[in-house]
Order: sequence, then C-alpha cells, then structure tokens
Amino acid sequence: MTALALRSNFGAALAETRLRLYTLSRYPAQLAMEILIPILYAAMPILLGKASAGPEAAANFLGNAGTAQYAAYLLIGSNVYIVVNRAFWDLAYWLRYEQETGTLEAVYLTPTSSLTLAAGVALYSALRSLITSGLAYVIGCLLFGVNPFQGNLLLALAFILVGLVPVSAMAFLFTAVILRVKEANSLVNVMQWGVSFFMGVFFPIAALPPILRFLCWLFPATWMVNGARAAILDLGFFFDSWYGDLAILWSFLLFLPLFSAWVFQRVENNLRRNRGLGEF
Amino acid sequence: MIPALPIASPGPLRGAATWFSTLGAMTRKELLIKLRYPLDFVAGFIQVFLMVAIFTLASLMFARGGPRATGAGSNIAGVMVYGFVVFIFVTETLFNIGYNVRREQKQGTFEQLYLSPASKSASLVSRVLITLLSTGLLSGLSIWLMTALVGNLPFANPALALFIFVMVLAGTFGIGFAFAALTLRLRETAQILAGFLQFGFMLLCAPFYPFKVLPEAVQAFTRLIPLSYGVDAFRSTLMGYPPGFPELASIGFEVAVVTAFGLLMPAVGLWLYRREENHARKNGSLFEH
Repeated sequence: MTALALRSNFGAALAETRLRLYTLSRYPAQLAMEILIPILYAAMPILLGKASAGPEAAANFLGNAGTAQYAAYLLIGSNVYIVVNRAFWDLAYWLRYEQETGTLEAVYLTPTSSLTLAAGVALYSALRSLITSGLAYVIGCLLFGVNPFQGNLLLALAFILVGLVPVSAMAFLFTAVILRVKEANSLVNVMQWGVSFFMGVFFPIAALPPILRFLCWLFPATWMVNGARAAILDLGFFFDSWYGDLAILWSFLLFLPLFSAWVFQRVENNLRRNRGLGEF
Repeated sequence: MIPALPIASPGPLRGAATWFSTLGAMTRKELLIKLRYPLDFVAGFIQVFLMVAIFTLASLMFARGGPRATGAGSNIAGVMVYGFVVFIFVTETLFNIGYNVRREQKQGTFEQLYLSPASKSASLVSRVLITLLSTGLLSGLSIWLMTALVGNLPFANPALALFIFVMVLAGTFGIGFAFAALTLRLRETAQILAGFLQFGFMLLCAPFYPFKVLPEAVQAFTRLIPLSYGVDAFRSTLMGYPPGFPELASIGFEVAVVTAFGLLMPAVGLWLYRREENHARKNGSLFEH
C-alpha cells in the first residue's frame, strides 16, 4: 500500500470518528448516563455487601478477593466493563445501525473499505468510553470514599489501552455474526452480560470452576481488568509480573485483528454475493 | 345515473365482547411477533442466567468462605432474588408497553392501528399479557437459578405475597400506560428517559439490597414512591418477616399503599394515555418521529 493510500485511509477513518463524535454531541444525556451507569452498577454489590456482611464486609472481601478495598475493586471492574461494552455496542452494532438508518448503501458506495471505516468507529468508541469511564471512576471513588489516584495508574492505563485493540477486534468479529443472524439487539444484550461474566467484573475468576476459568483466560478483557486491578490495588498478576500479563495481551493484539478482518471479509463478500447485506 | 351507495362510518367498536375479541386478536399478533424471533427469547433466558450469576457471585464475595460457602445469608438471597423479580417486571413493562408505541411509530404500523375501529386500550393491554407470560417464565427461571446457587430461599405467606404481587403488577402496568403517553410526547427522548427510570428504580426502590443501606435523606425520598412499598412488602412477606422487615412501614400500611397503587394506577395511566393521544391527534403529531 502506498503512502498516499495509507494517508487516504487514515483520513477516511478519522472522518468516520468525527462524524460519530458530532452525532454524539447532539445527545449529551447519553454521556451523562454513561457516567452514571458504572457507578450505579458498582453501587449495587457494594450496598448489598455492606448490608449482608456489615462491619465484616472488608475483612470477608479481603479473604475472598485479596483486597479489603472492595469499593475500588468493584469500581475498576464496572468501569473497564463499560469500556469493553462500549466497544461491543459501537462496533458490533455499527453495520446494523447503518442498515436501520438506511445509510448502509451510502457507506458501501464510498471509495474506501469497510475495515477502514470500522477502524474509525473503534477510535470513536475508545475515545468516548475512556473519557466517560475515567470520569465515572473518579466520581465513583469520591462518592465511596476511595482515593482515585492510588496505585500505578499509568500501568493500569497501559493494560486498558493495549487490551482495547483485541477487544475491538473481537467486537468486529461479532459484527460478522450479527450481519449473518440479523437479530442484533438480542445478541448484543446477551453478549454484554457474557462479557461482564467472563471478565470477572465483580469477582476474581479464581472463584469459577476450572473450565470456566480457562474460557475466561481466552478473553482479552479478563487480562485487561485483572491487569488494571493488580496495578491499582497491588493484587497479583496472572503470571506474577506485569510484563508477563501484558505480553499475553500483546499476543491477542497481534492475532485477533487479523483473524477478525479475515472472517468479516469472508462474511461480507458472501452476503454481497447473495444480496443479503441490505436485508433486515 | 347510478345512485351513490351509502358508506358505513367506521366508528369505534364498543361493548365488552368486542373489547375482549380485540384484546385476543392483538395478543395473538404480539405473540406471533415474539415467536418469529426465537433467538430473542432464548437470549432473554441466557441474559437472566448471567445477571443472576454475576450478582450472586458478587454478593458471595462478602460472605465468609466466599462462593463455596453454603447457604450464605438466605435472607440476603431472598432480598435480592425477590427484588429481582419485581425489577424485571418493571423493566419489561417500561420497554414492552411504554416503548412499544414508539416501535409501532418507527416501523410505520401505528397508522394502521389507529385507522382500525378497534379499542386502543386493548392494544396497550395486549402487550401486558405477553409481558406477563414471558417475564413470568424468566422470573421462574431466576428463582430456580438462585436456589441452585445459594441454597433454598425463604418462602412464606404465598397467598398474601401473590396478592401483593398482583397489585404491584397492576400498578406497574399503569406506569407502563403513563409511560406510553409520555412516549407520544417525547418520541426518541423516551428511550433515554426509560433508561433513567430503570436506574432510578434500581437505586431508590432497592430491588437488589435492603433499604437500610441507603442514606437517610434518600430513604425519605424512597418513602414517597409507592413501588418501594411494593418491593418491601413482597419480599418481606415471602421471607416471613424476619427481624427488621418490612423496612419502610408496618405490613398493614404497606399492603394498603400497594393496593391503592394497584387499583388506581392503571386507571390513571390509561387516562393519561387517552389525554396525550387526543392532544397528539389535534396537533397532528401522532405519527411524527
């Protein structure tokens, strides 16, 4: 690919990001909800835990999860979940959204590939979720009396940023499934709870049976949330060192985008040949 | 010259028999739509399984011995699962009854519904019946799952609990009708409002935790919402009134509030819907979206 083509593709991806951000600016209430949701999501187990264990809540949580700072633990889980969930909603629902709004044909008529536009959507999704979940984490910590700036925040951010690429790639893989099956809402709804379960949003995956634990390890978001928790709350990494866990995320990063792009293009070509792309 | 044939005016169909016949037809139509999306139905079940598993595991993190602890706080499990049942009915009602009007507008079938001389209230109530069926199945599944995960749930006073539940449901359907009225006015913003209402319910009506963990100021606000008494009375009754339950008031007072809520709210909701519908027809905004 020539430098000119690369620049053009980059410009197209950025234009898609800009378009999405512009649309989002018309719905400020959505952003307010996105800041509120992870706080409320974490508040439920926090309040339930306080109610059930009373003054022993911190001690019991320490025995089960390895830290007495349960509010921070749950807030990290809910905020990383929002970042992952956003990637799935934005990317997996992307073409379906274009189908529903009747702009899919226009998208396919532009002289660029759908992969380029998907990259623009992924960038938009990352920007949106990192800003809202960052704010939600700080506000949530202040509400529950936790220091939001404790621990190694830069390392936590590194886990989240590196993890976002394979997570977005997985979401893109999901787009292919949705294009094929069509029932996007149901699939994305199930997926968001599945994501939350397999990444261990409110519990360490060590609490799960061995088979489920193995499945969790195949999911990059599990490494993201565990890395962020370990960096901020000084909990253990899966491989006892941050670079071991980060290396696993890098291997996901190298493999998943290529695999997802290959699968997506096969499904897309198949649907275009069989005139199924515009149907819904 | 051929004389013009008199054309019968398609006035509204009246009478109880006609209303029930319309209700049956509308229910069949809604059920048919549901059956055309089997994946949606299966997804609903998987979703409930995952939600229950996540919140159960989260609450067990606070139990001594963790997830392997047996019978960890059956009262807390009762608070959570019986609250969850009310929660999914409220959520489904908001989206299935209230937001369904919006769905009809979006897919362009709202005009057909209004051009037919059938009762509009039957159309709204038909969505209630489908909600009862599908959400009832989901609730049964969530109770079974919770029992499998944390052991037996407390189960006392089933007759009174059923009465409270029916009243809570009737009141919730009334909220659904009122929300449908609001949807006619707000259109797309109604979806965001439904999200806010859902989270407001989760926070203020405490379906997943006891009311005592809420700050005093929030509890004062909670006492102004009839649905809070419904959640409290329903789960306290099923748990056999353990110490500290019901939390908001005496059970007699809570049952009185819930009964009034269940009897009045559907009428208020339907009245609001008719009022908003007339307003929208006068302004020509009924089919705008």
